[in-house]
Amino acid sequence: MRIVTLYQGATDSALALGLEPVGVVESWLERPMYRYLREELPERVRYLGLETQPDLEALAGLAPELVVGVRYRHAGLYPLLSRIAPTLIADTAHDFEALLELMGEATGREAEAQALLTEWRDRVADFRCRAEAQLGDAWPQRVSVANFRSDHARLYYEGFARHILDQLGFLRPSGQWRSGWGVKLVSRESLPAMDADAIFVFMRDDPAVSELHREWTSHPLWQRLDAVQAGRVYYVDPVIWNMGAGILAAQRLLDELYEHYGFVDDRQAWVGGVC
Amino acid sequence: MRWIGLSLVAMVALLAALGSLLLGATEIAPGSLIGAFVAPDPGSMEHLILRTERLPRALIASVVGASLAVAGALTQTLTRNALAAPSILGINAGAMCFVVIASSFFALRSPLALVWVAFFGALMAALLVALLGRERSGGLSPLRTVLGGVAVTALFVSLAQGLLIVDQDGFESLLLWLAGSVAGRGLDVLTPLLPFFLVTAVLCALMVRQLNLLILDDEVAKGLGQRTGWARLLAGVAVIVLAGGSVALAGLIGFVGLIVPHMVRALFGRDHRWVLPGCALLGGGLLLAADTLARLLMPPQEVPVGVMTALLGTPFFLYLARRRSFAP
Repeated sequence: MRIVTLYQGATDSALALGLEPVGVVESWLERPMYRYLREELPERVRYLGLETQPDLEALAGLAPELVVGVRYRHAGLYPLLSRIAPTLIADTAHDFEALLELMGEATGREAEAQALLTEWRDRVADFRCRAEAQLGDAWPQRVSVANFRSDHARLYYEGFARHILDQLGFLRPSGQWRSGWGVKLVSRESLPAMDADAIFVFMRDDPAVSELHREWTSHPLWQRLDAVQAGRVYYVDPVIWNMGAGILAAQRLLDELYEHYGFVDDRQAWVGGVC
Repeated sequence: MRWIGLSLVAMVALLAALGSLLLGATEIAPGSLIGAFVAPDPGSMEHLILRTERLPRALIASVVGASLAVAGALTQTLTRNALAAPSILGINAGAMCFVVIASSFFALRSPLALVWVAFFGALMAALLVALLGRERSGGLSPLRTVLGGVAVTALFVSLAQGLLIVDQDGFESLLLWLAGSVAGRGLDVLTPLLPFFLVTAVLCALMVRQLNLLILDDEVAKGLGQRTGWARLLAGVAVIVLAGGSVALAGLIGFVGLIVPHMVRALFGRDHRWVLPGCALLGGGLLLAADTLARLLMPPQEVPVGVMTALLGTPFFLYLARRRSFAP
């Protein structure tokens, strides 16, 4: 099936379903495509520019049978896209399960989609079970998702990583039950807003980002955070945690969590609720 | 009367500075203010926050606010245009364009390096405008300067936007600076620019008489034996340094450069001996107050300080505008 994906989560999901997209948009990091997706991607795939402004002429030239976009990026393009090919617009970029189901239905791969989702739910249940069993009173943990940039830090209340952490049963610090994607922190004085039982930190590999990270984490306010004192600051992959936004990224995110928490990830041994 | 007025404005600025130092996510007792700088205690969180976060921020806010307001007053005098602001001379656009080029082509992201790039960009744009605004006699023509400024702004903004479309991800890291902010910068960013600001301040102080004559028609000024060409050139240099340095330090902060000079003229009249110190105090005070409010409104989030300057300044401006008519 000739399929064109217009955002990262759709590319991820298409590859997960065993589809070979004829056209994709460029990734934000590790251009032109995230490394974790590169191998699966057919070599002759056509890059259609950025998520925010795909090349519609080239897209039409690919004669796709299905185009997949996301509401916050492509709602305005829908009238045009739907004249080129049947178009699927996902509601949000972080609900990767809904996207997988929709794409499965649209491409006649419902069975593959359901199999992936069942496996996902099993692993989520396994993680929760292990967390409960091994962390005892320390579970559920309140966790923060933080991101360092070159001129500020961010704290995420919503998004792909938070969506998965919620499923896994992680809680959030009391100040973080707010709507909206999160907050930008511009002064180190706001560091206490990050505090939690554990902090997941992701940042890109860039000298200015490392410099800001060094400045912030060397401040005594950082040293005083509960998560820092407990040694529970986990550095995670920015692509997997914030950009991939599909089932393949979700699986890798869970892999990272298993590793950080030292849980045995033995999918064979897991039988119906006993971990 | 004017002395009393100026003292009042100075008091307000001082209060704003105190507020900026004491208010925020961590409340700091006024008592620890002196201790933090006279006898710093390495174990005290209050002292530490004062020294590492609040003081750099307050200093940058006051320098930037004062510079923007003075640059605004000078621009309005230079162009004899009540609606003029430093941004009209292409300074913001030049700084922005160069920063965008530096960060997308040379992957330059550290604040200190970008400050110099922005300063250089502002300088380049302003020189270009000065070149375009030159009259055959050697002076700067107000009308040609403004037109040149509009053209140069359009040029640099289009260049910057073109680059940002290609490098959308890099744009993300510039957003904060583009929106204007005095937060998150250390003193190491301010100190190299400080001599420029100081020299310019002295230059302005020495030029007040000439500046007063620039408000008049060129013919009248020449009739009084003034060489307006030089005065214009020096005032132009002062604007470039003040506005360029401010943009470099704090990004695009609106309102202060355009409106504060009008507020000051409404209070003190058009004499630059009063306008310039008035602008420095009111501009600095306004930005300090705006920045303090910006971080108090919905912590830990901070409202863009440019939004707060307008929010704080507009009611006062409207009150003054109803009382008086404005002319630069």
